[in-house]
Amino acid sequence: MKTAGGGKGAPLLEVRQLSQHFGGLKALDGVDLDLSQGEIVSVIGPNGAGKTTFFNVMTGVYPGTEGAILFNGEAVRGLPSHEVIRRGIARTFQNIRLFSNMTALENVMVGRHCRTRNGLLAPLLRLPAYYEEERRIEAAAKDLLGFVGLLSFGNHLAKNLPYGDQRRLEIARALATEPKLIILDEPTAGMNPAECERLVELIRRIRDRGVTVLLIEHQMRVVMGISDRVVVLDYGVKIAEGKPLEVTKNPRVIEAYLGKECD
Amino acid sequence: MTPVSAAKWAGLAAILVVPALLGSGNYAYLVQAGGMIGLYMILALGLNFTMGYVGLFDLGYIAFFAAGAYGAAICGAYNVPLLIELPLTVAFAVLLRLGLGVSILRLRGDYLAIVTMGFGEITRLVINNLDSITNGPKGMEVPPLQLFSWTLSGNLGYYYLIAACVALGVIGSRRLEDSRVGRAWVAIREDETAARLSGISVNEHKLLAFTISAGFAAVAGMIFAHWIQFVTPESFVFWESILIVSMIVLGGMGSIYGVLLGALILGGVPQILQVFLAGSKWIDYRYFFFGVVLVVVVLFRPEGLWPHKRRQAELHEEAA
Ligand SMILES: Nc1ncnc2c1ncn2[C@@H]1O[C@H](COP(=O)(O)OP(=O)(O)O)[C@@H](O)[C@H]1O
Ligand SMILES: [Mg+2]
Repeated sequence: MKTAGGGKGAPLLEVRQLSQHFGGLKALDGVDLDLSQGEIVSVIGPNGAGKTTFFNVMTGVYPGTEGAILFNGEAVRGLPSHEVIRRGIARTFQNIRLFSNMTALENVMVGRHCRTRNGLLAPLLRLPAYYEEERRIEAAAKDLLGFVGLLSFGNHLAKNLPYGDQRRLEIARALATEPKLIILDEPTAGMNPAECERLVELIRRIRDRGVTVLLIEHQMRVVMGISDRVVVLDYGVKIAEGKPLEVTKNPRVIEAYLGKECD
Repeated sequence: MTPVSAAKWAGLAAILVVPALLGSGNYAYLVQAGGMIGLYMILALGLNFTMGYVGLFDLGYIAFFAAGAYGAAICGAYNVPLLIELPLTVAFAVLLRLGLGVSILRLRGDYLAIVTMGFGEITRLVINNLDSITNGPKGMEVPPLQLFSWTLSGNLGYYYLIAACVALGVIGSRRLEDSRVGRAWVAIREDETAARLSGISVNEHKLLAFTISAGFAAVAGMIFAHWIQFVTPESFVFWESILIVSMIVLGGMGSIYGVLLGALILGGVPQILQVFLAGSKWIDYRYFFFGVVLVVVVLFRPEGLWPHKRRQAELHEEAA
């Protein structure tokens, strides 16, 4: 793996004046954000504020209209998604996107793809390189399934897992790409309080592995509990940023949420 | 020996021994039918990479079978030895498919079906009209397969050659299925966006599966041409592409044994019916039965007759 670029204290991620326009709609409009290694930062904002769009531009789903994304000092805006992932950003989705007809273990093994090399020849000829790499992929995947508490479900098809487990499986798959930054789009959506609790604990353990966490979150209890910092988006613009308690007292934030439906 | 493995060995023995016994008797046509089914198996195994694993519909696949067959015919016309003909023909089919692949990378669903269908038809029309090279609708004579001074002729010889290729195809498919690239293919089929965002270079892997499909078709086409010793554009009609797609749907997308079963049923039953119903008025209905069978399967068993089972790993709790 590459070592983190820049000196001590240099931000892991620097987002500068990032915009994404869809025709006349400015879904994202000049957003700045810095992340340091080991932080947990939440992005909040009303429905339609541009949070998911922000994640999509960061991971190459949309190209972005203007601005820069520097990850480890390297410009990554506009790179194809798989190149972004390779550089150490991983993500999950607001609407769970697993490989439904693959087993839970295989889902995580797919996440190892960008860190492994076997092509066609080694598996076709069953060379030692094939067995060796497969063994490593499987071991790493089992390890991560254990980490999210799903090891005993490894042979279940992803589509047959309960909802909360699917969310955690998605996180395990993302972690399998060995990210330095993981971004989670509403990881607790649809979870009951007990599942939420487990997820918060999981997010902390992810951070303790040295992975920086950026998440979109709606449940204020979760946001207040785990965030080192909170960023508030509204109509594609960053309207506030700071410690969780400061942000909730910010009049602009209160105004943004008032009279609006929270999703 | 368990009953299942006993049945397997018995089946394998039957496949290998029975044709030799049938030899030149009353049932010799069965050897030819078996060879044709085997060619369909190679084609279905090949298309399974594109359609079964990666999930891309391809209604023009027969074009690559045609490329193989005409490769053999043209090489034959110039007395090109087999050891050069084989790589040349496969390379030609693969390049042709790369060209198609690159231009349809972004297409999905119906668009993909329409464009590939068009490609298949255009290929046939080109063969039909390129008189100077392909002799147009009149077709070309093809010499039998020849390696150095050894010539392969007769149905039985081609039957065994085809059987060997099916076996290689099955082994190759199994080995690739259970690999890093094989998992990437299925991930793309399951959710292309999620695959991309799990770090897979989706386009590269699509093209890879695509070209492997062309390789299978080219080899099948070569064998076909040398065996029948004659090729015409008529052998590569749209219907044949549909037939191969149907084999995969019937058997089970991405399932090696399902695909073989699909080829056995859809490739075999019409030939058997042709013999048994010859002269009866029912022969005109054989494709009707065929359609009914397909509709019933798709409605009541959408995953196919012999769906793929995902690999089960050993899970030890203490790893947690
Ligand atoms: N692909 C797209 N094309 C057009 N508009 C889009 C697209 N993606 C998102 N939008 C719009 O951008 C705005 C922000 O959406 P989104 O980022 O999903 O909001 P959030 O995740 O904060 O709820 C919405 O108005 C949405 O309709
Ligand atoms: Mg959203």
